[in-house]
Formats: sequence, C-alpha cells, structure tokens
Amino acid sequence: MRVASIKTVMLAASALAVSGHTPARAEFPEKPIEMTVLFGGSAQTIGQVLADQMSKQLGSPVVAVSRPGGGGAIGYSYVKDTAPDGYNIVWNSNSISTVHYQGNLPFGYDAFQPIARIGMEVPVVAVRSQSGWDSLQDMVEKVKATGRPLKVGISGLGSFTHLTAAALFDKLGMKVVYIPYGEGRAPAELLAGRIDVAAQWPSQFVPHVQSGALKVLCQTGAKKTAGPIDTPTCAEAGAEGLDVTMWRGLAAPANTPPEVIAKLEAAAKAATDSEEFKKAAHNLGFTPAFLPASEFGQQIESDDSTIASLMDQLGLKNQ
Amino acid sequence: MEPVLTALSAGTSVDVLIAALFGSAFGLVFGAIPGLTFTMALALVLPITFALQPTAAIAMLLSTYIGGASGGTVAAILIGVPGTPSSAASVADGHALTRAGKASLTIATATIVSTLGGLFSLVIMLFAVNLLAQVALSFGPAEIFALVIFGMSTICGLAERSMVRGMIGGALGLMAMTIGQDPIDGVPRMTFGSVQLLQGIDLLVAMIGLFAIPQVVETLAGHRAGHQMKIDTSSIKVQLPTLRFLFSYRWNILRSSLLGTIVGAIPGTGGPIAAFLAYSQEKRLAKHPETWGKGDMGGVIAPETANNAVTGGAMIPMLGLGIPGDPATAIILGGFLIHGIQPGPLLFTERPDVIYTVYFLFALSYVLVTILQLLGVRLFVQALRVPHQILALIISVMCVVGSFSIRNSFFDVGAMIVIGFFGYVLQKCRIPLTPILLGLVLGPTMEREFRTAMIMSEGSLSIFSQSPTALVFFGFALLIVAFHVVGSIRSRSAGEARPA
Repeated sequence: MRVASIKTVMLAASALAVSGHTPARAEFPEKPIEMTVLFGGSAQTIGQVLADQMSKQLGSPVVAVSRPGGGGAIGYSYVKDTAPDGYNIVWNSNSISTVHYQGNLPFGYDAFQPIARIGMEVPVVAVRSQSGWDSLQDMVEKVKATGRPLKVGISGLGSFTHLTAAALFDKLGMKVVYIPYGEGRAPAELLAGRIDVAAQWPSQFVPHVQSGALKVLCQTGAKKTAGPIDTPTCAEAGAEGLDVTMWRGLAAPANTPPEVIAKLEAAAKAATDSEEFKKAAHNLGFTPAFLPASEFGQQIESDDSTIASLMDQLGLKNQ
Repeated sequence: MEPVLTALSAGTSVDVLIAALFGSAFGLVFGAIPGLTFTMALALVLPITFALQPTAAIAMLLSTYIGGASGGTVAAILIGVPGTPSSAASVADGHALTRAGKASLTIATATIVSTLGGLFSLVIMLFAVNLLAQVALSFGPAEIFALVIFGMSTICGLAERSMVRGMIGGALGLMAMTIGQDPIDGVPRMTFGSVQLLQGIDLLVAMIGLFAIPQVVETLAGHRAGHQMKIDTSSIKVQLPTLRFLFSYRWNILRSSLLGTIVGAIPGTGGPIAAFLAYSQEKRLAKHPETWGKGDMGGVIAPETANNAVTGGAMIPMLGLGIPGDPATAIILGGFLIHGIQPGPLLFTERPDVIYTVYFLFALSYVLVTILQLLGVRLFVQALRVPHQILALIISVMCVVGSFSIRNSFFDVGAMIVIGFFGYVLQKCRIPLTPILLGLVLGPTMEREFRTAMIMSEGSLSIFSQSPTALVFFGFALLIVAFHVVGSIRSRSAGEARPA
C-alpha cells in the first residue's frame, strides 16, 4: 500500500514537471507556442488555420488550445497569468472589452500586448424571405405600425452580436426582445419562425440566403465589406452613423519583450498573406485585414472607449 | 446513378481509406479514454485535414467522429468508467456482465449493435433527411425543455431501489451545474469571486470523478484489507455473439435506433439523453426488468444502439441546413467549409455527388470502426488480467490526465478528485450515482431552454401549453412517474402481504 501511494505521488509529480517547466531562453521560439482560443465555431476554425500557417513560418509548432467559457473570461484570465515570454498568446477580439465592461473580467485590454490584427468580421441582420419586409426601413415602418416588440435572436446577452443589435435597434427607436441562443442557433430559430430577426455572422446565413429562405437586410460596419453576402450597410439602409465591426487578432500578456512580439507579428503577417489562409478565410466567410502591432493597439484602445460608452448607453455596463 | 458512381470511385481511393483508417483509430482511442472526447479528437484532426484533398478530409473527420462515438463503450464495460457521457448508461449492466466473466461477449455485442444503430441512422438520413431536418427545426426552446423533462423522468428507471434516493441524486446533479457563470445573464453563481469557478463544473470532469474515484477507493481499500475482487480471468476468451442471439434483441435494436436518430437530429440534445431514454424505454418493455442493472445484455444493447444512431441524426441538420447541433458537428462543418463545401439545402440539388460521398464515407467509417474494435476485443480483455490494485492506479493516472486535458486546467483535476470523494460518500449512503450524472448532463440544457423560452414568451408559461409537442413530452414524463409510483406501491403491498 505504501509503495503504491508513493508511486501515485511520483506519477503526479512527473506529470506536473512535464507541463510546468520553462527552459532558459535562447532564440525564440524554441518550444511550441500555445494559442488560446476563446470561442468555438468558425472563430475556432480560422484560429486553427492561422496557427497552422504560423507554425510553418516560425518553424516551431503553434498549437491552438481551446479555453472556452465565460464569454472569453476563462481564456483571457489564463493567458494573462502566464509568463510574458511569447509562448502563450491569445486569439482575441473585441470580446476583451465587452466581457470586461459586462463585469466578468477584473482587467481590460491593457493587460495584453497587441501582436497583430488578423481580420474583421461584420455582423449582419437577417429576416425570413416571406416576412414581407423588403428593407430595413420597410421593416421598421411595418413593425412600428403593429406596436408589438420585435423578437431578435442573438448569440448571448452581452455578446458582440447583442451589442451590435442593440446599437442598431436603439438608433431605429424600436421595441425589441433579445433572445440569447448561444453560438450558432439563431439562424435555425429564424428559419423555424420563432423569432423575427437574427443578428449573426454572415457565414451562418450563406446556405439559406442561397436557397432563398432568408434574406440579409444590412451589415453593421460603416464601410461596406466584401463578405460572402452582398448587402448594404445599415447606415445606408436607414440607421444613420451605425458602425460596429469586430476585429480578431493576436495578443500576448503585457510586458512581453518587443523582439518576441516582432517575431510573432512577422509570422502572423506572413501567415495572413499566405494563399492557404486567404482561401480558407474566403470559404469560412472571414475577411483578412492585417494590421501591425502599433496600429492594432490604437484600434483596440479607441474601440474600447466606443464599446464602453455604447454599453453604458444601452444599460449593459457593469464595470 | 452517376453521382453514386462518382462517390464510390472517390471514396475507394487509397488516400481516402488511409485517412478513414487513421480517423477511426484516433477517434476510438479518444472515445475510450475517460476525459478525452470526440470533440477534442476532431479539433486535433481538423488541421491535418487542411492539407488533404476534400474526400480524404471528409473521410478523416467522419471516421474520427464515429470512432469517438463508439470508443466510449469499452471503458464503460471493462472498467466501469464510461469513456464518454454517452456510454454512462451502459455502465451498470455492462460492467456487471464483465464481472460475470462475459467481457468479450459484451464488448463485441455492443460494437455490433453500435454499428447497426449507426447504419440505421444512415438509412433514415438517405430517405428522410428533409423530413427530419424539418422535425429538428420544429424543436424550439419550449419543446427541447419538455424533452429534457421527459429525459429526467428516466431517473425512475435508474434509481435502483429507492425513488427518493434517485431523486436526491438527480437534484444534486442539477445543483452542481448551477455553479459558474449563468448561461443567460452571465451572472456568476456560487463562485465566491473565483475566476476558476466561473467556468463551472465540467460535465466530463464530474463524470470521471463520480465513476472512477469511488471504484479506485473501494479497490485500494479492499486490497489493503486483503480482499481480492475476483473476476474469472482464466476463462477470458474472445466470444462473439451469434446471429440468433442478436436477432432475439431485434425490437430493442430497432426501437433504440429510431429513438437515437430522432434525438440526434434535435439540436442541443445528443448521445447521453438518447442513451438514457433508450435504456429506460427498453427496461420498461423488457420481460424481466428486475434483471436490468445487474447484468442484462439488453441494458447494454439499448443505450449503445441509441448513442450511435445519434451520429447519423446529428448529421441531418448539419448537412440539410448547414446548422450544427453540437460542438462536434460544428467542427465537422468547419472542415467541410474549409474545403469549399457549403452544407445546406442547395448541396442536395447541386452537388448530389458530395452527398453520396458523405453517405458512403459514413458507412465505410462504421465498417472500419467495427473491424478495429472486434480485432481489439482480444487485446482489451487482457486489461482484466492486470491485478486490480494496479489497474486502479492506472485508472487514477488516466483520470488526472483526462480531467486536465478537457480544458487544460489544473483546477479541473482538483474538482474531479473532490467530486469523486463526494461520490464515494454518497455511494456509502446508498445514493445511486447514475441519476447524479443525469442531472449533470441535463441540467444546463434544462435551465437554458426554460429561460430562453420564458424570454421568448415575455414571462408567460403559456409557451409550454401552446406547443402540442411539448405537451406530449410532459405527458410522457407524467405517465412514467405515475407508472413507477403505482408499481412500487403495488410491490410494497405485495411484499407486506406475503409474510403476514
């Protein structure tokens, strides 16, 4: 019995040693880099494609590790607490601001050092083709005339699609009930007719726009993005001045050495420029839009204050 | 006919076969090890498929999925720790059969009925993909909530002796799942300010702890006291079920397949619910329900058939609507998209060759998984020759590795151990563990669907009474509980009458 318990302790200790040790640094990278992925679905898939391409650039594996939960809070907390040596990076997004102001993350974007922006995703707003609504303006008028609230399907309360939809319908002055479905289920609920509108990522609607069951009314960015579905911007369609766009990029814990950031940034650029990445991004409905670390940092900062005031205005801000 | 031939020629090339063989083996291993799941296997396999040609990529994804869905059985039967939540319902009878020296027969039977369930779901997919996709769409939050309540009623069949103890177990499971960020408002519950607890108790972590730790403790304590838990190892030989034997379970297999396919198609449900529903349905219909839970082959056949029929069912909304019902099919969908294949209604009319290729590869994966598992039976049963105290240690190491790898979190390892010892104490209080697992499996879905339905109806319960589907499932649940209560009162009064 005693021998057995010592064996267990030794096994546990060796398991700890394997995962916990950090060798002296020579030329970065000399061991695999972990890229924490916060969400599932197409965000995870495109993250894996990026990690795959970066591995080829760096000559050392970049492993996409899924740490979902808490709207991103779990993964952000994990990466923030790792050593700032470039071996732990996060596939991040505007969620750093939303989850922080929602009150579920005690720190904000400044806990991380930007590496590079990889691309943009612009939510779109879709309705059933049989709804009888031809445009955003048409929907607004007809629904307001009935006086009933509009049922809008989103990914989750406080999620980016919620924020987008809230900004849009607030501008249009509409009464709305938001129904949080979690990732990816809102299009099915829209098809089945249990909701009036779904605010989601364009790729989720592609098969149904092709088959003619659904139609997209507008995209929420200020400038029209050439996504998988051709549609006007919401600003053009009647929601003046609306501009909500999500970026996705890479970040490392604050105080990561600049030369390590530079290496990662170069690898990210080469990966984003590769034909394989472009092709996969196209198929997944993701728009590559590389931005170097410094400019990316400025964008994170300005978007953070925009999101803070937007969430405050919509009554979603808790921190 | 032409698309079928295209599919056949594309599906029988060497690289496709190699990809499918690799996927099957990889999925089987991930399914078999508690804590590693097919979702994880798929996430790991996905980057490999980037470099493959589309048919080989689809072959690898589907075979990994199917291997993973089948692999959980071996651990459930052999060591009494389910490899995946889907095979948790098979533990009671499967492991009892192993103790009775029928490990190889049980594993082989489970493997064969799993394949039958999977192929049955493929046939349904062939003929009724559109119909079932519409059925899947008709299940909104209110209907799924009702289905989950129906699922909870199976506690009646799982609570071995006392219904009250079963319900205590179920309630504990439900309560454990409220820890963490609430699924709707994102409000932290019972986290005591800890970020670690914000992610809540993971179902797999709890499952490993509940099933493995009490067993490990019992074995080691027994070993110290000098008891040797004996499984007859001298007679371990590979025994396959005869056709006549399988044929005697034909109705069980058919009903469980149908149930699994339909449950699989409904978003947000999946393997564990199908397995538990099939188990309790077949137990109710069995000639000798009193032998269930003590080593009845029917108690392995029903859940194993159903949980594999789920694979075809889950493919239906993914292929027919381009809408994934769970994280695993979401990864498969990602793999399809990367290769420029957009699942959805148009795929059926514009690219029938792709559809037939998917069907063919689905069947091929089942054939490969079955062959690998039947070949493996010889090897698996050797695990029983390992002395039990050593096996218990190996299991504990696997539990630590498994619970860590789910979310790459050491917190989960601690949680697994705590839950495990808690489970040991509960077992000593004769509270059955399977209803706890049922609570854990169904709790999050139940809460999310109920609250989503209430948001949709702006707080009115009429959303449930206005849905005929929901009313049917509530009715079923009531019937089962009533049936059980009447039955237990009768057997009690009969028991009291006899000695007098």
